[in-house]
Amino acid sequence: MPETSYAVLGLFNTPDALMQAIPKVRASKLGTVEAYTPYPIHGIDEALGLRRSPLGGMVLVMGVLGAITAFGFEYWISAIDYPIITGGKAASSWEAFIPIMFEVTVLFATFTAGLGMLLLLNKLPFFGHPVLSSKSITGITRDRYALALEAENDAFDSAAAARALQEAGAVEVEILPAPDRSPFLTSDYIMRTLGGIFAACLVSGLAMYFATKWFPLLPPMKYIQDQPRLNAQKASTFFKDGHGMQPPVPGTVARGYLPTATGTQEQAASLLNPLPRTKAVFAMGHKVYVNRCEVCHGALANGLGSLTAAYGGKPANLQSQQFRDYPDGKLYWAIVNGKNAMPSHAPYLTEQERWAVVHYVRALQRAQNAKDEDLKVVAP
Amino acid sequence: MSRNMKPSPLLWGATALGAAGVLATYATAGHERFWANWVLWFVLMLTLGLGALFIVALEHLVNAKWSVPVRRIPERIATLLLPAIPIGLIALCALPVLYPGTRPEAAQHPILAGKAFWLSVPFFSVRTLIALGLSTLGLAVLVGGSLKQDASKDPGFNLRARKFAPAFMAIFAIVITLIAFDWISGLTPEWYSDIFGVYIFAGAFLSGLAATALALLYLQDQGRLEGVRGDHLFNLGGFLFAFTVFWSYIGFAQYMLMWYANMPDEVIYYKVRLAGSWRAITMSLAFLHFILPFFALVTRDSKKDPKRLRLVACLMLFAHVLDMYWLIFPALGGAPRFSWPELSFALFFLGGILLWLRGAMQKGEDMPIGDPFLREGLEFRL
Repeated sequence: MPETSYAVLGLFNTPDALMQAIPKVRASKLGTVEAYTPYPIHGIDEALGLRRSPLGGMVLVMGVLGAITAFGFEYWISAIDYPIITGGKAASSWEAFIPIMFEVTVLFATFTAGLGMLLLLNKLPFFGHPVLSSKSITGITRDRYALALEAENDAFDSAAAARALQEAGAVEVEILPAPDRSPFLTSDYIMRTLGGIFAACLVSGLAMYFATKWFPLLPPMKYIQDQPRLNAQKASTFFKDGHGMQPPVPGTVARGYLPTATGTQEQAASLLNPLPRTKAVFAMGHKVYVNRCEVCHGALANGLGSLTAAYGGKPANLQSQQFRDYPDGKLYWAIVNGKNAMPSHAPYLTEQERWAVVHYVRALQRAQNAKDEDLKVVAP
Repeated sequence: MSRNMKPSPLLWGATALGAAGVLATYATAGHERFWANWVLWFVLMLTLGLGALFIVALEHLVNAKWSVPVRRIPERIATLLLPAIPIGLIALCALPVLYPGTRPEAAQHPILAGKAFWLSVPFFSVRTLIALGLSTLGLAVLVGGSLKQDASKDPGFNLRARKFAPAFMAIFAIVITLIAFDWISGLTPEWYSDIFGVYIFAGAFLSGLAATALALLYLQDQGRLEGVRGDHLFNLGGFLFAFTVFWSYIGFAQYMLMWYANMPDEVIYYKVRLAGSWRAITMSLAFLHFILPFFALVTRDSKKDPKRLRLVACLMLFAHVLDMYWLIFPALGGAPRFSWPELSFALFFLGGILLWLRGAMQKGEDMPIGDPFLREGLEFRL
């Protein structure tokens, strides 16, 4: 018999009769025993020998995974990949991560609970459980107590199962045919689903459009429009000078931008480069040089940058003897204050970056004027 | 039905030793420290009693049946509100010592000047009296009525309690907010947090639940409370589990908003508690009050496992003491203080509370035998 039935239902008149029948039917070992009753009966889980659902464990594992995932994403984004200081907080402030970690934990946990229950444990999808389309269902939802022997494989013998249920005291027996498990993702079904989604989007979109158009904004949402702010092309009365943005208090210095090179270039000659000559410092200096200096001073610092030829300017040839003899402090002073046509680079270079580029210029100078003993340093 | 529990010389001895230490603290360790300890234990007794009374009121409010067989335990714990009255009256002496708002200099302080009347000794005392009076009223109606029902078997009590419970919830909210704002937050009157009352409520309810679970397991070891099963324990354990999360939710929400806004008058509260040795206490509070009990109670079986529940209940009571210590003691300034004065106070008050509860557990019935829903409660299954 290739097309086997789904299950055999046995009906009982009282919960006690059902409870007494359970051990007998389980002993027959013909299939999985399941009970359907109009209300919960205490002790039936133990009698059926139902194992504890694994769903709780799955939810816990996925919840913890959600928390770790969220933390990983947030840490990577805000502390490693694109660190931006906001509100004066450190880039890796865990406090700010917690609400999102909480949300993602809940998201992972609920999705695991819902989908795990429906797909893994209830073995959906199929339309309509066979018990719901049985003749006995009206009784089961009212005053009958049903015991089902469900087929575990193709070798299920419905006749033997029906006999076992009757011997256990079932007053009525019904054989349920296997449910229709034909594929439901037909093109017709997909088109109707997509059409339904489109119609729902259209209706809700139009409803929202007219709702915001026809109905007035009420407090507290209205306060978003009423708050003091600068509107484009409008005068602002919020500040006395009419500007929307205010300059910082005189004397304000951004972090890392301390002005140290005051005075003349000669006075700055005694300043010492505070940074060590490490790989990281040279990398920072290289980056700054390429971004800020190379267009004029050239990749080799010989004053032949790409802008030089185009505009006929005469930027300093840093490879000349004059600049090779310059102390670090004087180069630094020129970067901070600017010299001749070169503007000050202080506004967008931090203290660290300014000194790092001085180191890098020194390396460029030495590379063009290498001595024999320099080769020995590099030799393995 | 009175039981002959053996008198406990150990408990009496410990309490007497503690009392001697308390007197010695007053004489030698400085008044500030004495009153800080006194306020700590006053607040602990009050939160424990109010938390227990809240459990009783909650049952009446939602007409819960499962908790009827175990209701007598929180009712007995709630009677701690009676000895809390004299302790609270004595604690009023702490006002000029510990509470900056009650001092005459407060009138010159730019922030405190506007609150001067609210923070002054007379109005502070009146509010405390109102809070103690209102909680005694709740105790009289809910617990007193329940005890009378044992003899009268009058089902009318359930109806009256059901009607009173919503009013009591409003009373409870006022009382716990007054206690939280006056006695704890009042130590740093420049600082305020809207959610502080809710935070104290979470701790109070947790301590009431933990004490109920502990007393229930103790009575079961004595062979009493027959008929109370794992299903009842499971509900208590579930409440404990849920409210560890609630406590941390409120605690963290308060912290995160202040941390983000970084307003000097708000964030100073946490700056003090994250500096030096206080930082270690803050971290252990997060661990003991949330992470440890959360994972200890997360599985289904652990919520009805008596051994596990007993450990977690002890842990929660300890964490509640630590929480209140963490709130009150930074007001003394400097590093956390823990030495013989704190130990003596713990001995004296813990001994006293246990003696009081021992006495309460010996009187009357273990279950509300007059309650018409007792049988339904005993038949409760998950």
